Amino acid sequence: MTHVIQATDLLILAYFLGLNSFYALLLVLSIPEIWEQTRLAEDEDFQRLMQSDALPPITILVPAHNESATIETSVTAILTLEYRSFEIIVVNDGSKDDTLEQLRHAFQLYEVPRTYPEGIATKPIRAVYRSRTRTRLLVIDKENGGKADSLNAAINASRFPLVIAVDADTLIEPDALLRLTRPFLLSSKIAAVGGTVRVANGCTVADGRVTDARVPRRFLPGIQVVEYLRAFLFGRLGWNRLGGSLVISGAFGLFRKEYLHAIGVEDLDLVVRLHRHLRRQRIPYLIPFIPDPVAWTEVPESGRILARQRERWHRGLLAAMWQYKGTLCNPRYGPVGLIAMPFFTFGEALAPLIEVMGYVVTIAGLALGVVDLPFALLFVLVAWGYGMLLSLWAVVLEEVSFRRYRRIGDLARLLAYAMLENFGYRQRTVWWRLKAFFTVWKHRQVWGEMTRKGFESAGKQVAGQARD
Amino acid sequence: MTNRQFLLIVAAAQGVLLVALIVLIILNRWIRLRRSAKLHPRRLELDAVMRRWTLSQAGADDVLRGLSRLPVSLAIDALVNWSARVAGERWQELSHALEHQWWARVVRANCRSARWWQRLECARFLSVAATQRDIGRVLRLLRDHHPAVQIAAATTLERLTSPVLVTAALEQLPFLGPTVQAYYASVLKRARPAVLRHLQQLFRRLDDPRLPRIIEFAGRLQEPVLREPFTTLATHPDAEVRTQVARALGRFPHKESVAALGYLVQDEAWQIRAQAVRSLGMIADPATLPLVREALRDREWWVRLRAGLALTRFGAFGRNVLLETEVGVHTEARDMARLILGLSPQALAEYAA
Repeated sequence: MTHVIQATDLLILAYFLGLNSFYALLLVLSIPEIWEQTRLAEDEDFQRLMQSDALPPITILVPAHNESATIETSVTAILTLEYRSFEIIVVNDGSKDDTLEQLRHAFQLYEVPRTYPEGIATKPIRAVYRSRTRTRLLVIDKENGGKADSLNAAINASRFPLVIAVDADTLIEPDALLRLTRPFLLSSKIAAVGGTVRVANGCTVADGRVTDARVPRRFLPGIQVVEYLRAFLFGRLGWNRLGGSLVISGAFGLFRKEYLHAIGVEDLDLVVRLHRHLRRQRIPYLIPFIPDPVAWTEVPESGRILARQRERWHRGLLAAMWQYKGTLCNPRYGPVGLIAMPFFTFGEALAPLIEVMGYVVTIAGLALGVVDLPFALLFVLVAWGYGMLLSLWAVVLEEVSFRRYRRIGDLARLLAYAMLENFGYRQRTVWWRLKAFFTVWKHRQVWGEMTRKGFESAGKQVAGQARD
Repeated sequence: MTNRQFLLIVAAAQGVLLVALIVLIILNRWIRLRRSAKLHPRRLELDAVMRRWTLSQAGADDVLRGLSRLPVSLAIDALVNWSARVAGERWQELSHALEHQWWARVVRANCRSARWWQRLECARFLSVAATQRDIGRVLRLLRDHHPAVQIAAATTLERLTSPVLVTAALEQLPFLGPTVQAYYASVLKRARPAVLRHLQQLFRRLDDPRLPRIIEFAGRLQEPVLREPFTTLATHPDAEVRTQVARALGRFPHKESVAALGYLVQDEAWQIRAQAVRSLGMIADPATLPLVREALRDREWWVRLRAGLALTRFGAFGRNVLLETEVGVHTEARDMARLILGLSPQALAEYAA
């Protein structure tokens, strides 16, 4: 027994060292990447490009299911984006609330005949609408088939070569589309681009725009600000240099439509499928992440909903890793098979299991006297300290590059959340992600509901913050 | 060293790093605030001097003094911003004066830098301050491998007239990404005479793989002297060339264009047929109505859609064809006619765009 515990301890230690060394590598790689991206983001010639005819037209896909609270604000905000040529396709995915009525009323919709072939099979379309007031808007009303099915329906209807999927509860910054097309201007190999998603809770929102970025005072949404910064600013930037990013946020990513037509959209594994398709077809490609285009999203404020979201995300990750296990360590898929898939499988998908195993083995070791208590405590301290360093590094990257949170109070809160994240919150996320294994084990594929508050007006939001 | 000692060292190092990062964050904010407080008045001062200079109330020396007080990147930003507001000759005076500034010399030397952002800075500077002596540098930057540098260098063509640069940009055009290509094209349009001369030479190279891109660009110019080469290329063996020709000919309402489109509308490739029928709609010559009517029965959905939309441009004649087809025997043509007749004027306008 003692030997087993010692061997397991060693294994976990090796895992800890390997994973954290990889994080350190991502951290180092994120430095030149953010430097280069900031340089390009500040280039005024791209501002001039915005006024030229050179920009590729874009279709914005907005799947909406029971989004009555936010749909009008979101679509209005999207319609006022600073971009020369774009269309918006909102797909009402069999909503049970009055999402379609809200749209019909707000944009004076009228029914038009369908004018495109069904390239990708989807659930039946009930009707297609255009707006009397906004020529760029097309609304598709279809039977419920899920987010991927809605995106496929919108891709069928889209007219332009680049498509971006935006969640109905997401607020895009006015110049975000322009910034997001930058890689497409710089290289013809770009297959898709991801932008940054930030937390909108606590911010002042006016006319569908975040006018004042704030770090929420409430603990749960506040700590998610740090999580999002860490995931986007150093995680994904680091992956740019390794050439194998597997994640583009479903809430904000720009794709070349011809590739989506070839593979169709299926839930969370889109980027993996894209990599696989392009590798198999031997098409040279890049899927970069750029940090300056920003979309704001409302994150869960209650532990119950956050738990469901995290469990759902992890279930999606497990499903994707299982489905594409053939790419794991497969040299045919280049950096995706040799670096990204092993990292996402062992470092992300299996991480909660290994972390819990670590806690159990340490407790068992302590009980049997195999593990020395001060040593175990010191080890936990080092592990947590490392987590804190990574979170702080994300704050550093934010501060040296984009500095969205201008107030000293917000900066102080960011620092505090970065320090506190490892005490309690991290362990809760491990538990939520662990639950995904149980759900997968029982083959229960229940998708949780996300309760939206809706974006408040500037006045209300500030009043709300004052109450907090 | 025991394991515990090792962990203690790691923990201590982490503690130091944590403190260092927090200090770095605070220092960074403080330095930025100080820098901005220092530079903002200088920027305002330069704007004021520039304003006076445009009204001839201040000399170029004052402007140069103001520019030299700013960091190079900010000075270039100011030049780029003001270049759009000042008339050509007066701006050229300033460009010549800038040649003798030490910081401008350093920026010019950066055209050979190994770092792309330094070359970009140089290209941006030259885009507003280049003189005839900079042609070699601009040429080099036009051939740069970084698209951001290429875009900035191409902008120079707006201010600096040089057949050498125009030829170099045109040669470069087919190798660029589609968007950078479109930007180059918009810049090159302004140097029309030199561009036309060179294009006519390029059209003679029938085996050149760059030909489709060159035709695409030439079509945008809508220059009557280019119509004849287009019609000649309608029988080119490369389908991509024929597609571009079919697209371009819609902008040349002429009987020879119509004859070439009449040939292309029967092409084997549906993409070419769709483009040709679209162009026939743009010309809307009543004599081509039978061709478009025939295209409405095409086996390919997209060709039928383009034919239906083209018919809406023929006025009453086209509408009558659609109404006849709507009750005709050809099922697919009937469905398309029904679809087109059901579209609102707004939807039709959007399709035409």
